[in-house]
Amino acid sequence: MSSLKIIGEKINGTRPRVAQAIGQRDVAVIRDLAVKQAEAGAAWLDVNAGTRSSAEPYDLVWLIETIQPVVEIPLCLDSANPLAMAAGLRVVERTPMINSISGEARRLEGILPLVAEHGCSVIALAMDGTGIPETCEGRLEVARKLVTETRASGVPDDRVYLDPLAMTLAANTKSAQVALDTIREMRREFPEAHLSMGLSNISFGLPARSHINRAFLILALAAGLDTAILDPLDREIMAALVAAELVLGQDRHCLNYTRAYRAGLFARSDAMATRA
Amino acid sequence: MSKKLVSAIADMREEEALKLVRKMTAEGTSPVAILDAAREAMGVIGERCEKGTYFLPELIMAGEMLTQITEVIRPELAKLPEIKRHGKVLIGTVKGDIHDIGKNIVSFMLDVNGFDVRDLGVDVAPQKFVEAIRDFHPQVIGLSGFLTLAFDAMKETIEAIKGADLRDGLKIMIGGGQITEQIKEYSGADAYGRDAMAGVSLARKWVGK
Repeated sequence: MSSLKIIGEKINGTRPRVAQAIGQRDVAVIRDLAVKQAEAGAAWLDVNAGTRSSAEPYDLVWLIETIQPVVEIPLCLDSANPLAMAAGLRVVERTPMINSISGEARRLEGILPLVAEHGCSVIALAMDGTGIPETCEGRLEVARKLVTETRASGVPDDRVYLDPLAMTLAANTKSAQVALDTIREMRREFPEAHLSMGLSNISFGLPARSHINRAFLILALAAGLDTAILDPLDREIMAALVAAELVLGQDRHCLNYTRAYRAGLFARSDAMATRA
Repeated sequence: MSKKLVSAIADMREEEALKLVRKMTAEGTSPVAILDAAREAMGVIGERCEKGTYFLPELIMAGEMLTQITEVIRPELAKLPEIKRHGKVLIGTVKGDIHDIGKNIVSFMLDVNGFDVRDLGVDVAPQKFVEAIRDFHPQVIGLSGFLTLAFDAMKETIEAIKGADLRDGLKIMIGGGQITEQIKEYSGADAYGRDAMAGVSLARKWVGK
């Protein structure tokens, strides 16, 4: 198990395959994604009911009720819609993480009270009603406002997962640098809070994305990221993660690394290295 | 020389493209011919994106080149008699969304293809669209959005247009990375476009050009 806590990203209704499974109430497809991600080491499963917004509360409830009998890990309820979130919270069994609040008034007012009432942890995005600040300092300012709000609602910092926001490098080649700087600053200013990020957006619009995602993950780990939304079934990113944690001195006696080796995590890249 | 300009733009040779534009302008080439070359290059870039050899960064860079080229030829363009426009298109990124790369390219392509375009920018509230329709009298509306929450904003915008009694006779197209036939149905738009040229084709069809 990596020290980085993983939020498994695969049960997301904006993915066509999952959208179809939700539409057809296909229990097997959803449960398969849930079990496999849990087995691969996810600490939470993100659950996003997707785009049919009037149906979102029903779809989210169906997803939760479909998933929770087959896994033991908590869920990460992913919605901007307070109605869907409230409906989800009524049926969820293990206290979930909430994805997400931001400085946008609608999200703060709609979602934060639910977080406080149900004792959830929460992802807090460093953006507000005017958009995503371009600079590290701008994002920190939003984070300060958000932490002021979560504290005022009685949510302790260690239940807050600040997200510095990864924007695609395709549009701005400095975007990863801004995110990494923001991680370092947030770590210093909010030592009790967690730092989480959706990784894959960094490579949106580019080819061969997994290479970029891996490089970014490793740099973000070094900067202080402790949680990430990613695909735990992606063996290459998981292998890079285990190796990077070892290099960063977070793997006592290299035990995780050698365990991962024995479990066959590196099998494919080994075979490739031998061929090369 | 305009063939050279097309390939310079299409191959992302920015400095060469700008040098050519300056040279052509100095030698008296019509700005219309330069814009034609830019349009042709955008077509090539679009095809390369379709084929998977070009990606988002190339599209963004192309957008920047187009802006710079337009800057260079602006004085010459201003001297031309007002070009007869096919029709008016009102465009913007809907409320709650701030993505503008695709929208800007669609705006440019509509513009160089002979439409009178008013671009309202990003995070545009439904009421702002309604006011702009009253003021600008477009035949076509383009709603852009990339986030999933834009789907609701598109629906709300179209409902606001209906509510203001402005929907009749107006054609509405939507676009953005995640837009599908299903979202088109959901939002109440008339059509959706996969890329900038699709947007131009729709607008052309709707105004009968």
